[in-house]
Amino acid sequence: MDKIAITGIGIVSPSGINKRQFWANIKSGRSFVKEITRFDASKYPSHIAGQIDELNKYSNISERLLKKIDAFSHMALIASELALQDAGIDIKNEDPNLVGIFLGNAIGGWLYAETELRDLYIEGREGVSPYMASAWFPAAPQGQVSIYYGIKGFSKTVVADRAGSLMALGYGAKVLNKNKLNMILAGGMEAPVSPYALLCCNTYGALSKNNSQPQEAYKPFDKKRDGFVIGEGAGIVVMESVQRASKRGVKPLAYISGYSTSCDGIDRINCASDGVELARAIKLALADAKTNIDEIDYISLDGAAINLWDDSELQAIKSIFGARTKDIPMSCPKSMFGNLLGASGAVDMITTILAMEHSLVPVTLNLDEPSMKGFNYITKEAKEYKIDKALVISRGRGGINSVLVVEK
Amino acid sequence: MEMKAKVKEVLVNLLKVKPEELKDGVSLEESIGVDSTEMVESVIALEKAFGVKLSPKEISKSSSIDDIAKIISSKISV
Repeated sequence: MDKIAITGIGIVSPSGINKRQFWANIKSGRSFVKEITRFDASKYPSHIAGQIDELNKYSNISERLLKKIDAFSHMALIASELALQDAGIDIKNEDPNLVGIFLGNAIGGWLYAETELRDLYIEGREGVSPYMASAWFPAAPQGQVSIYYGIKGFSKTVVADRAGSLMALGYGAKVLNKNKLNMILAGGMEAPVSPYALLCCNTYGALSKNNSQPQEAYKPFDKKRDGFVIGEGAGIVVMESVQRASKRGVKPLAYISGYSTSCDGIDRINCASDGVELARAIKLALADAKTNIDEIDYISLDGAAINLWDDSELQAIKSIFGARTKDIPMSCPKSMFGNLLGASGAVDMITTILAMEHSLVPVTLNLDEPSMKGFNYITKEAKEYKIDKALVISRGRGGINSVLVVEK
Repeated sequence: MEMKAKVKEVLVNLLKVKPEELKDGVSLEESIGVDSTEMVESVIALEKAFGVKLSPKEISKSSSIDDIAKIISSKISV
């Protein structure tokens, strides 16, 4: 496909809100995983998370609107505003019919839904806010962002478990390739730190139970891993054609040059153990980007910290990169702030772009004893590397594989 | 407190708008751009606050504070 320019970044995460604060914390390798304080989660098997406190401090959203939306829409609105500011775009000057929104989400807005469902059973139907209907569902943030900015162009929300936002970015890039839109706000958002959402994540059985040491709990690719830690936030970027960015006199922060996706088709929950389909997605994404394996300078890993998922991911990488595998730096920076589920892929891409800009590969936290050897894991502290092209891998339950090629 | 002031207080607290935005003789749509979901919520809140039954036909986007106060007063006095 033709390269698509990324000209603005908006990030709302436990490691920081706005890209400067986020990168300062990421490059230092600080963990932001803590015991959950929003509600009493002490009886849940896993009760640690990457949380965002004081979201209101960073937002200009009116109280009138806030009472109608869930936290995940609020996060998407803040991230969209930051992305537009970063890109130097005043949406009022755009043709609203030619602006799109492509967002990924996994679970919807449960903080809002839980409260209203409680009221339904306590007070009856009149106890439920009429906004419930439009607040909880996964496409709500797309709707709220479109209303807020008056955006009217072709838009989509992708629900594909943890792979949703990387798929939304890939889909957005493909749509821009058809020249049907001028620009797109793309990425994802997730707010799983609520009693019911946390319960569902726990039931899935993929979360770390290392509650006594929150900062050391998320250990992807380590022998002692016991699952990931959830996090909340949003990552949204401005995407536009290379020609339009140049016409605006803007130097793109990076380019999306290739994308692909595949399904394992093996199990309702688990991925395939052989990584064959992930390998195929990597191969197709590289071909889409007209890139050969020697050109990839960094791999951003999915890193679910579950034996089956981590091992099959590494196996897929090895099968594609062969002898080069041991040389390519790779890491899973989300180990510092938690897995943002449906927003994780977009945040990974943003981290990758910042790593490219600063020629610095951030670490996988808590990777002390790799379970599989023969890979260039970046651990302990961020390491200098010139990155011109990178691969971002994002996977979802049931064996969804999505891969993006990003370049400088 | 007079009826108009009470109606205004309910709507200000419910919709999180500024009291000065709600003008007595101007429709809710014109003064605060009320949407249909806000109207559903407003009718329920006014019913609860004044102990009366109101239908969407009686109170709509085109009602003003004056109109709403009049309807509620008429129901209370019956």
